[in-house]
This record gives sequence, C-alpha cells and structure tokens, in this order.
Amino acid sequence: MLLDAYRITSEPYYQPQGAEISTFTAAYHERLPVMLKGPTGCGKTRFVEHMAWRLGKPLITVAAHEDMTAADLAGRYLLEPVGTIWHDGPLTQAVRHGAICYLDEIVEARQDTTVVIHPLTDARRILPLEKHNEIVPAHADFQLTISYNPGYQSAVKDLKESTKQRFVAIDFGYPQPATESAIIIRESGADSDLAAVLVAIAQRSRNLQGHGLDEGASTRMLIHTGRMVRAGLPLETAVQSAIVLPITDNPDIRAALSDAIAACLP
Amino acid sequence: MSAAKPPVAFRGLSEPEGDTRRLHLLMRQRDNLWPLFVNTWDTLSRHFDAAECEAWAGAVLALANVNAGPSCLIAYWEACSNAASTSEIAPLLGAAQATTEICRQAGAQAASASLKALGPARRFLGHGAALSRWWRAMETLARQAPESVAPTAGSMGDILAPGTVQDFENFIAAGLRAGAGDHKRRLAFFSLQDELARRTIARNPADICFPDVEAGLKAFTTALWGKAPRLRRMAGGGNDKPQRRSSIAGPLIRLPEVYRGVQGDAGRALFRAAAAHAQAHLVLGHARFTIGTLKPLQVALVNLIEDARVETLAMRGLPGLRRLWAPYHIAAPGGVATAPVLLARLARALFDPTCNDDDGFVAKGRALFAAALPRIEDSAISREIGMLLGNDLGQMRVQFNAKTYVVEPMYRDDGLGLWDFGDNAPPSDEVLELFVDAMRIDRQENADSDRQQGDPDTAEPEPGRGRPAAPDERGTIIARYPEWDRTHGVERPDWTVVREVAAPPADARAVDEALDRSSALRHRVQQLVRGVRIGRAVRLKRQHDGYDLDVDAMLDAGIALRSGQEPDPRVFRSSKPVHRDLSALLLIDTSESTRDRLPSGATILDVERLAVALLSEAMDQLGDPFGLLAFASDGRDDVRITTVKHFDEPYDRDCRARLAGLVSGLSTRLGTALRHAGHVMATTTTSRKLLIVLTDGEPSDIDVADPLDLVEDARRAAINLHMNGIDAYGVVLGNAGAAAAARIFGRGNTMLVHQINDLPTRLSELYFRLARR
Repeated sequence: MLLDAYRITSEPYYQPQGAEISTFTAAYHERLPVMLKGPTGCGKTRFVEHMAWRLGKPLITVAAHEDMTAADLAGRYLLEPVGTIWHDGPLTQAVRHGAICYLDEIVEARQDTTVVIHPLTDARRILPLEKHNEIVPAHADFQLTISYNPGYQSAVKDLKESTKQRFVAIDFGYPQPATESAIIIRESGADSDLAAVLVAIAQRSRNLQGHGLDEGASTRMLIHTGRMVRAGLPLETAVQSAIVLPITDNPDIRAALSDAIAACLP
Repeated sequence: MSAAKPPVAFRGLSEPEGDTRRLHLLMRQRDNLWPLFVNTWDTLSRHFDAAECEAWAGAVLALANVNAGPSCLIAYWEACSNAASTSEIAPLLGAAQATTEICRQAGAQAASASLKALGPARRFLGHGAALSRWWRAMETLARQAPESVAPTAGSMGDILAPGTVQDFENFIAAGLRAGAGDHKRRLAFFSLQDELARRTIARNPADICFPDVEAGLKAFTTALWGKAPRLRRMAGGGNDKPQRRSSIAGPLIRLPEVYRGVQGDAGRALFRAAAAHAQAHLVLGHARFTIGTLKPLQVALVNLIEDARVETLAMRGLPGLRRLWAPYHIAAPGGVATAPVLLARLARALFDPTCNDDDGFVAKGRALFAAALPRIEDSAISREIGMLLGNDLGQMRVQFNAKTYVVEPMYRDDGLGLWDFGDNAPPSDEVLELFVDAMRIDRQENADSDRQQGDPDTAEPEPGRGRPAAPDERGTIIARYPEWDRTHGVERPDWTVVREVAAPPADARAVDEALDRSSALRHRVQQLVRGVRIGRAVRLKRQHDGYDLDVDAMLDAGIALRSGQEPDPRVFRSSKPVHRDLSALLLIDTSESTRDRLPSGATILDVERLAVALLSEAMDQLGDPFGLLAFASDGRDDVRITTVKHFDEPYDRDCRARLAGLVSGLSTRLGTALRHAGHVMATTTTSRKLLIVLTDGEPSDIDVADPLDLVEDARRAAINLHMNGIDAYGVVLGNAGAAAAARIFGRGNTMLVHQINDLPTRLSELYFRLARR
C-alpha cells in the first residue's frame, strides 16, 4: 500500500473523557469532516492518532503555519531534467489514496488556504487541482479532521463561517481531576499521590487563565513534570522548570503562581 | 570658661561694648524674661568661652530684633540649656539663625513651635549635620507654606518616625507639591489630616507597601481559588496605634497600607497570608452571623472559630497553605492567662494539631472543634462553639477589653465582615467597640473622599494671590465652529461654542475592575494585539531580490523558459518589517440616552466605557498615538467636550480616572463634535488618521427642532474630515440612529451594534480591521 508509512501500528493510549470516540466513529462512518476544539496539550492530536489506529486507517498530519499556501497542501509541479512533474501535496495524497488527513491548527494558515478544503467537506467530496487540471474524487476512506484552539487564535484569524459550518465539532477541555490523574499516572509513571498534586497544581494555573496567563498548564505539561520527577528531580524543581518557567515571563505572575503551587504541596 | 561672675544685679553693665552687653541691657528691662535669661546665660557660660557666648548673644539679639516675642526666646533658651552639655555652640547658633528666619517668614508662633519641635528632632536626628538639614527644611517650609510651620512642628514626633532627615525633606517636598498653592490643602497635609501625608510618614523604605504587592497578591489569590479578589488599600492608623488587621467589607478585601516593621520577603509573605485568609472567608466561608445580643467576647470567639473553620477547609484542598500561615502562630502556653493571650493560644491550638497546650479552656475549645469537624462545612458551628467558649471564658472572669483587643495572629482579618448588624437591632456599644477602630477609620476615609469631591470653587482664594480668571461655570471656551443651515443652504460661521469641561473626579479602579471582570474579552483583544505583530517581518513573495528563492515563482519561471516565453524575473522571497503609522481618536457620546440601563443593569455609558477601556489598552500596547474625547451638548453655545486623553499624554491612571468619571447627560450635537475632533486630529502627524465615533442615536439638541438639520450638518462635517485625510467611522449602538449614521458616515463607514453588550468586542475588532487597511 502506498500509505503504509502513515499507518499506526500500535495502540496510542487515549483516555476518553466523554462521548468523543463514538462521535468520531459516527462521523467517520458518514465521512463527515470533524473539528477538534480545545486548549493546547489536552490530547487532540493523541485522540486523532488513537482514532486512526482504532479505525485502521492511515493518518496524514499537516501542521499549518502562516506561510502555508494552497500549493503546500494540494501539491505543485516540480522541475526535473525531463520536464515538469506534478507532485501531490499531503492533502492530495490523503484524498487520492484514502487516509485521515489531520490539519493541525488550521487557522494558522492563510485564509485562502483553508478554502482549498471546502469542496472536500461538503457533498461533493472532490479536490480540484487547478494547476494540474484535475479533479480528484475523494477515496472512500478519506476523511478530514482539523484542530482549532479557540482561545489561542485571534479574532482576525478566526475561522470563516463558511469553513466552520462544514464540520462536526468535538470539544476538548482539560480532563476531570480523576481522569487527568489517571492519564498522568499512565503516561509519566508517577504514583497516584504525585498525580493528585500535579492535578491540583494545574488547577491553580488554570485559575489564572485570563488573569495573567493565556492558558493554564496543559495535561501534557503535567506529564512532562511527572517524568522529570521520575527522572530523579525534586518535585519543586520539576514544577518550576516544566510548568512555571515555560508558562509565563511575567515576574509577578511567576511569583504568584509559584506561591500558589507551594500551597498545593503537602 | 568665664571667670567669676559679677552679682546678678550688675550683670552686663561691666561687660565691654558688644552683643553680650547689649543683650544683657535689653533683658534687664524685661522682668518676665530676666531670671530665665540669667539662668540660661550661666549654664551656657559654664560650657562655652566668652567669644562663643558673644556669638550666642548676637544670635539672640537677632532673634529678638525680628519680634520673636518672649515665648519664642524662652523656648530657645530652654533648647540651648538642654543641649549645652552635649552640643557645640555652632548648632545652637544655627538654630537661632533658622528660628530668626522662620520668625521673619511665618511669625513668632511658628518660630517658637519649631523650637519646641527641636526636642523630637534631636531625638531622631542627633545634633550633627542631619539636624541642620532639618532646620533648612523647616526654613523652606516657612518660606513656602508659612501657615503650615506650626502644625508640622506640632506633630514632629510622628513626622520623623521614618527616622532619617531625608524622609523629612521628602515629606516637606511632598506636602508642598500636594498643596500646590492651596493653603488649605497644605494645612491639611502638614497637620496630618490628609491621608497622603499619613501614608508618606507611615512608609519606611524597607517596608513592603500594599501597592508594591497588589498585582502579585491578586494573581496569587486568584490562582488559589479561581476567583479574582477585589483588593483595597486601607489607610494605616498612626504609628502609636496597634497594627491594623485586614478587613472584609462585602466582596472587598481591605488590606493595610503596610504591615509595620515587617520588611522585605517577610512583608510579602504576610500580605499573601492575609489575602489568602480573607479570600478563604469569601470563597469557602460564606458566613454571615447576626449579632443579636452577643457579648464582645463571644463575638471575638465566634470570629476565631470561624477563622479556624475556613482555614481548615482551605488547607484540606491546599495543604501548603499551612506553611504560609504557620509562622504567625506564635502564642505559647504558659504566662498570664488574660483573654487575648488565651484567644491567641486557642487560635494556635486549632490551627496546629501538634501544638501542646494543656490549658483547660484551650483544650475544651479544641475538643469542641474536633467534635464539630464532621459539620465543618456548616458555618453555624462557629457561632455555636464561639458562644459556648465565650460563656466559659466569661465565667473564668478573665479580663477582656473590647477597646484594645486586636485579632491575633496578625494576618487574620478583624472579623467585621462576618457580622450582620441588622437594621433594627443596633448592637450594644461594647460590641461596637470591638470593631470601633475599623469603623472610625472608615468614617474618616469617607469624610476624606467627600472633601476631595467638594467643589473646588468653594475654596477661599488665597489672600494676596491672583485667582485664575474665573472660567464660565459651563467650562472654558476652547473653540467656535460653523454649522450648516439646511434650510438656507449656508454655513453659519461661529455658530457653536465648544467648551472644555473636566470630567468629575472618579476612581480609575472602577475601570480596572470592569476590565478584570471581562477577562475573556480582554484576552481576545490581547490576541488581536499580538496578531498585529508590531516590528515583526512580513514575508514578501515574488520579489526582484531577496534572501531566498520563491519556489512557486521559480517554477513558473522555469516553465516559462522551457515553453519559450519570457520568464518573470521576480523569483525571490524577502521580508520587511511592519510599520504602523496610524493615529486614532475616539469620540464618545455621553448624552442623556446613554444613561439607559440594559437588562444586565449596566448603563449604555458603562458599556461604552468598557469598550473604550479595552480598546485603549490595546492601542496603548500597539503604540498607536490615540486620544479620547467625550461630548455632549446643551444648545449651540454649550457643546461640552471632555478630554479623557490627549494625544501626547500617556494612557495612565489619570486617564482611566477621567474615563471612569464620565457621566451621562444632555444632547448630541454631533457635527460640532466632529469638527472639533478634526481640529484635534490635525495636530497629529501620522499618515493615517482614524476617527471612531461611538454614539447611541441620531444627533439632536434642545435648540434644534428638526433633527435632520443636525444630521445634515454632521454629514458635512464628516465629508470635511474626509477631505482632510481623516477616516471617520460611526459605531452606532442600538437601532435608533442607524439610518442617520449611515447618512452621516456613509453605509460602508458605519457599524451597527444591535446587541449593546457586544460593543466591546465589536469596537476592538473594528479598530483592528480598520487599522489593517
């Protein structure tokens, strides 16, 4: 198979928080495009990997960036000694050969880029390649998933209504404390006491969201902290280096957060 | 040392011609002064030689020659006698010279008051250079604020409490500045009636003051429980009063200006402990006890148990808080078992389970509290236990003085916020005394702020000084503008009169808090600011030269070459930094209709204020020059403009205070306001000029029957602005003014905000959209 390199062979760990697995499965069954919303580090990418594995489909991930053009997604002609050769972009590959295409942080891309996905996300399910003078009908297995962090995006960069309304959305938040603690234990090898403290610490930072922090500590950050502790670092140092220092540069907020974190430590 | 002295009766007569002789002759004529003078002279002549005494006599003569009066002379002699054994002659002469100067400038009473203040000054500053600087500062005060010398001298002990002469000089300078020519305010400052004055002397440079830690405290407390605290500063009592405790008033947490004597990190920690404790009451406590017929001791105990209860709850979730609070629990068993001591020990015993205290009362309190632990969520246990323990303590007949009692440990609040005094059942005087310190200062603060809000015009003009030319009571006339007469199709010159009206004073905090409450919005606007990415580079494609090949352009060129066409040579990518060259003026309509309330309870003006505050914050961060004007009108000869922010003024607390002070009233003569805005914007030098008008309806005024006249006038004003390179943009709240605004600004330059609550978001988005063009 062409896309074997994109297949996920072992199960990526994912702890469901709600009905997201059944929602995604149903959407995939109907080949409806899915939008994953939520703050950074709450498991969006991991969820897509898990679903690709569960559904047995290859997964092509594209991280969008602000210089990304439509050609970067769809493909372009390249020059070779014999002439110009058309080269499929990642999206075209997924469309042609049947994969889940995951566009991470889609709004980072320029707005004209996002329009490329419009014909793929309605009843047509086609990808017109204007330069190649080709219309690629989507493979039966193809499905489009995008991720989108509403807090992190600017209003200017908000998704267009016409784009938004094509998607089934799944909202990801920070997991419930018990779930989050289970995730930390599983992913970092921390014991349950440590996990509980880390979850409490995360709550303190999330309290500061909008009061000095753009976003609170993510689950990913907590896992990293847990791993630092497991690697032998004292908890205070690990928290400082894996949570407090990365999250803010404002000295007042940093001090306040450190003090609030100290209040969580037994 | 002088030789044997002649008998008193002949003193001075035998002296050679000179100041000594003259002084003696002068004093001989004054029966009331003579004996004191002789005593002083004897004392001094034991310590100083004849030449020094001669100089001293000269100094006293100079003092007498400026009509210092007997009391001043006596005060000087006393000061000299007291200092003779420890001082050189020079400081005494300096004191005389300074007193002479003060007497000349401020009168004899001020001079003798200064001499009386010399005692405290010596105590704090010694006899050296510091003391002479103190005299210099007093002379300065006498020259610039003669009326204030006596009150300053009267409270010298308090004023010098910070300890160094530098602090004293700063205090004098601050008072002169704060008074700014108004002798009443100066007098209030130097007699320590003014809060600023009290704050200035309460401050020790090493002390941590509330404003230093406010931002950090707020973030810290928010992080703990996810609820932003509303922190307030509380004026400190005098240095002689016990340290004030924090206090809860409704949703507000009032913290002392400073915890005296607790410095550096310890001070910060104490503020954190106090803020966390008070916020624990607000977040976890929810207690509101009716005072009923409780005795002060019982009230104090209920407070104490409630403190322990909320701390126990808080530490269940956040065990590390124990480390924050523990250092202040220092009451140890033993010693005299007075009520305050027992209360402090009980507080410790309840806080710290490992603390050993075998006192029967403390043990009983502990047992009761432990038994109530299953019901810890219920604030009623505090009242139950508090009353029981209060009875016990009452029967033990230990002394409890409500007047002098202060809550221990220091970080805890005074408990006032826990009590509901009810309207019809006033508490007993004794109970009130428990809180009286807090209440008295409250009252005083209210009185202070009332005074500040008083009409400045009622202040008496200072005698002998010119008063600024009396402005029209409607404000200073700053411009006249023409107005378009629709019926006759002519422009009537100088038809409208624009007056600058100052915004009534208000607290910038109101704006800050509104911003805090809408943190989500603020966050969104911050993202917009970040999106603009000032100073960052944008990447340019298909350039003639650059640092990198543009792959797409190169391929096109390659294809063109091979197909025999002429390729486009622009195959490079480059980048250039983003420049902003934009200034903006916001024109805010404050007419009567902005007083309308929305379902949320806020007025339209409140929403406008929030929207403007949000956008101003963003513009400030972007570095775009901007101005804020508010307008309202009361006929053509009274178009009132309030400058909230000038273009060349930083966006600071004062601006926010003026923004907070805007009040609704009068009508909307938009055309004149637009012309004035154009006039203001003409001073800016940016290439792009943006005028955003916030209004909630169509133009109207009391002296214009047909509103269309004003619409037409405003339209012409807007066209004029456009001709002058100013983009005028109308933001219309509600539906009423939509048609008129579209006519004035053009449909494309009008934004309708149907849901007024959306204004803050929409306004900022509009700005960013316009600014990008």
